[in-house]
Amino acid sequence: MIKHYIKIAFRNLAQQKVLSGINIVGLSVGIACFSLFLLYAVSEFSYDRFHKNTNRIYRIVEWWQGEKREPGGYAWAYTPVAPAMKRDFPDVEYAVRLKGSDCLVKADNKVFHTSITFADTAFFQVFTFPLVYGNTQTALQQPNQVVITREKALLYFGTANVVGKTLELKTDTTFIPFTISAVAENIPANSSVKFNLLGSFEHIANDPMVQQSNLNWYMTIGMQAFVQLKPGSRLASEQNRLNLFRRKYYPDDYKPKKNPTKEDLIQTSFRLQPLRDIHMNPTIEGGNDPKNIWILITIAGAVLLIACINFTTLAIGRSANRAKEIGVQKVMGIRRNQLISQFLTESLLLSVLSTLIGLLLAEGLLPLFNQLADRQLTFSISRFPELAWLLLGLTLLVALLAGSYPALVLSSFKPIEVLKKKIRIGGSNLFTRSLVTLQFVLSIGLIISTIIILQQIAYMRTKNIGFNKENLVMINTERIDNKKIYPLYKQAIQHNAGILGVTASEMGLGAGEGQMGTGYRDYKGELQGVIEYPGDYNYLHTMDMHLIAGRHFNPALASDTTGAVIVNEALVQNILGTTPEKAIGIQILNAKGNRGTKTIIGVTRNFNFEDLTHMVRPQMFYRPAKFQPSRIFVRLQAGDPGSKLTLLNNTWKQLAPDAPFEYSFVDEKFDNFYKNENRWSSIAGWAGGISIFLACLGLFGLATLAALNRTKEIGIRKVLGATVSQVVGLLSKDFVKLITVALVLATPLSWYVMHNWLQGYAWRINITWWVFALTGAFAILVSVTTVSVQAIKAAMANPVKALRNE
Amino acid sequence: MIELKHISKWYQVGGKPTFILKDINLTIKEGEFVSIMGPSGSGKSTLLHILGMLDDANEGEYHFMDQPVHSLKEKQRSQIYKQHVGFVFQAYHLIDELTVYENIETPLIYQNVKTNERKAMVADMIDRFNIVGKKDLFPTQLSGGQQQLVGIARALIAKPKLLLADEPTGNLNSKQGEEIMDLFKQLNKEGVTIIQVTHSEKNAGYGSHIINLLDGRIEQGN
Ligand SMILES: Nc1ncnc2c1ncn2[C@@H]1O[C@H](COP(=O)(O)OP(=O)(O)O)[C@@H](O)[C@H]1O
Ligand SMILES: [Mg+2]
Repeated sequence: MIKHYIKIAFRNLAQQKVLSGINIVGLSVGIACFSLFLLYAVSEFSYDRFHKNTNRIYRIVEWWQGEKREPGGYAWAYTPVAPAMKRDFPDVEYAVRLKGSDCLVKADNKVFHTSITFADTAFFQVFTFPLVYGNTQTALQQPNQVVITREKALLYFGTANVVGKTLELKTDTTFIPFTISAVAENIPANSSVKFNLLGSFEHIANDPMVQQSNLNWYMTIGMQAFVQLKPGSRLASEQNRLNLFRRKYYPDDYKPKKNPTKEDLIQTSFRLQPLRDIHMNPTIEGGNDPKNIWILITIAGAVLLIACINFTTLAIGRSANRAKEIGVQKVMGIRRNQLISQFLTESLLLSVLSTLIGLLLAEGLLPLFNQLADRQLTFSISRFPELAWLLLGLTLLVALLAGSYPALVLSSFKPIEVLKKKIRIGGSNLFTRSLVTLQFVLSIGLIISTIIILQQIAYMRTKNIGFNKENLVMINTERIDNKKIYPLYKQAIQHNAGILGVTASEMGLGAGEGQMGTGYRDYKGELQGVIEYPGDYNYLHTMDMHLIAGRHFNPALASDTTGAVIVNEALVQNILGTTPEKAIGIQILNAKGNRGTKTIIGVTRNFNFEDLTHMVRPQMFYRPAKFQPSRIFVRLQAGDPGSKLTLLNNTWKQLAPDAPFEYSFVDEKFDNFYKNENRWSSIAGWAGGISIFLACLGLFGLATLAALNRTKEIGIRKVLGATVSQVVGLLSKDFVKLITVALVLATPLSWYVMHNWLQGYAWRINITWWVFALTGAFAILVSVTTVSVQAIKAAMANPVKALRNE
Repeated sequence: MIELKHISKWYQVGGKPTFILKDINLTIKEGEFVSIMGPSGSGKSTLLHILGMLDDANEGEYHFMDQPVHSLKEKQRSQIYKQHVGFVFQAYHLIDELTVYENIETPLIYQNVKTNERKAMVADMIDRFNIVGKKDLFPTQLSGGQQQLVGIARALIAKPKLLLADEPTGNLNSKQGEEIMDLFKQLNKEGVTIIQVTHSEKNAGYGSHIINLLDGRIEQGN
């Protein structure tokens, strides 16, 4: 029986070449899209599962909860906490601290920039990172041993077999030789714990900062800590035990305060976060929001749905022609469920075929998708075994989604009525219309969203953010003796042609740069954060930031390096509650509420130093007496920067031969703020483009069917005097109506979604009506063109043929 | 009114032309009522379609009311036939989605007749054919004879000078057929030139003149 079904199904597919083609192309594209996103989702949810003991590994986090504060956790670990847990809880099997650090590597006389992670010796007992060479027991035993990944070994030495070789590493001021003790396999992409070089924690144990943090239980030095519990331990859920531990080591937290400030009322506790939870838990700093994945899957699902709808509407549209075949089969005694099986076999066959083609397509699109998603995914059933059954399920789901309605409707025909041709179902029933409308609601909505996201990005890129970020080069001087080299460097370059200004700061600007803040009391007595920019005298001037009151720093005045500050408008407004003119001369209250030593000498216009999701926050500039210029800024003359960069690089080589010349353009660093927005606009744009393509493909099929079903009517109308354009209008009218309805529905829907999205930006565009008009016009144009191809063909046909008596 | 000179029509079948009409010469004067007869496949419908300007001849000249149809552009030709020619078919060819009223109205829409004028003309025609009670029904709700009546009303609505009918009674019983023929006779008296294709000697007798077609040629000597 099944063989019979498949035979008939194949015949039907082969007979209806255009429709089968449309269905296969549509479903393949839909499935390709969906399986790419599926792969993405599966990989995101597969983070950190490859460790043998993954279910027993936890990260120590500090959980904050307060009255005016969303509860949330931070993954910073105080240096003594992890060893204390190992001591105090018998069910903690191992404790591992990880401290990352920037470093320079000298290998074979070449210098590279990378990072090194220092870990406690239990690292390889807890985490499963297989070694290519070396031994996990001894790899971290000595303080001057280092484990290197295969990838880095190949980069530095050209071979992976490097155990025993020496690497010189510089994490602060001098190069220190390390012996390579082991080579690790490359770290899987879906690992939260990563390293390039892995050293022993003992190496940094005597570092003054680490020692200090070992005594001060409140000091964070950018460290993470993990524990592995013994089998059967339930410590992670036994919060009272963790709270007792906290109370033992932080007795001060539990003493009642006389005048508690807002900060004092925050309750702090330790928690153990499962390793598997790290990548996908947004309540703990650094975790991703799974919401985004569901949004992506929804978008991909919408594209797939559009393809499935094509199958359904085309099948219904074709039913008029198949009705007779069904009638005959019914007269011959076929049962209804046999007919349903027949139809479902057809859609299953199509769905299997499309899945195969779709997977090939997805494989081909994977590089592009990886770029879009910023991942290195591969379709690997061995790495993601769940993909196998997910894809199988997808195939069945598509078959059911696409095939069940036509199967039910077609199989319900009454044989006599069918043979008398009384039943008239064409492309015109309400169900089909609703489905086509839905397709266009989805595609139009996606296109509108894309345009609005792009508008917002363009706005953020081009908005005048209050200083001149063009032609500005920022050089990283963290890893050189910058106090000594900066004045020499400045001296060497500043009088060259094309160099308009040179300055320095302790802070960078743009995406990926840190910020430094301190709390000050505002005029209402509340504590407010102020972002500080210790910089050179000419910092504001070189940046093209404008003063609106007061004066610039004066190198000749000694007092300008002890207490003079320039602040921004936001600080004047939010903290002082006054005007820029009156702010001059005011001393700002420090966190304790005392008049500090900081006197305002100038007020600068607000500039957006953060991305435009934020309002401008209070800011303070000063020239410290002990200046650590860790970023040099060079203002170039507009035009080709090539020769000027060569000058900067050559000068660097002379003054700091041991460190790589690392520079970036400040405008690019600001553009990088909007990586996510760029990604979303690409995703929505692709999805919108693909869905409008699929929807039009379906439309093309429907128009073909409509023209076919109405051949006779078209012939009559032509005989009665209708012109070609009148016939085209007649055929297109219905579709234009549907698309107009879709536009009317999609407009408020996408407006609402995008309006909400824009609320996340302090600086945002207004949604304009023409976006909707433009998209609507585009959708109507595209669909009318699609329909016209068929309609014109039908309208041009000689009516005599259509009306020939049979 | 109509003059055909050396009209030929052929189709390429397997690379070779097969003639459907061969060297047809024919003159029809205004006010005539002509019946075309001949066996099935002899080219009667094709000839009618050429006369109605729905189809082109491959060769020959066609003059309609002193206009050289064979050398006119598609647009001008459709202008002429919209104004002067009405069609009636054996299978009625009414539009199933439209009511009787709308079916009759359709040709006027395509001739850009104004709404008010259109209403008046359709109302007149419906009156004349005695189908007032049926005007809001759909074609499938009518008998064959009634449908053909609507078909004729539709053909006449734009006041054509020439009425072309391809086996108008072919699907009707003899009584219904007789009524249609009486109607044609009446129309002819009112001045409408009629060319009909028919298989029935009796129906052909209503006409003033019979043309016999055999294998695409006009049989001489009637
Ligand atoms: N498109 C076509 N291609 C080939 N032959 C055709 C075509 N249209 C009609 N014919 C042939 O032309 C001949 C005349 O057709 P028709 O005018 O309909 O005859 P009648 O109306 O006298 O029965 C028939 O043999 C028919 O098969
Ligand atoms: Mg015929």
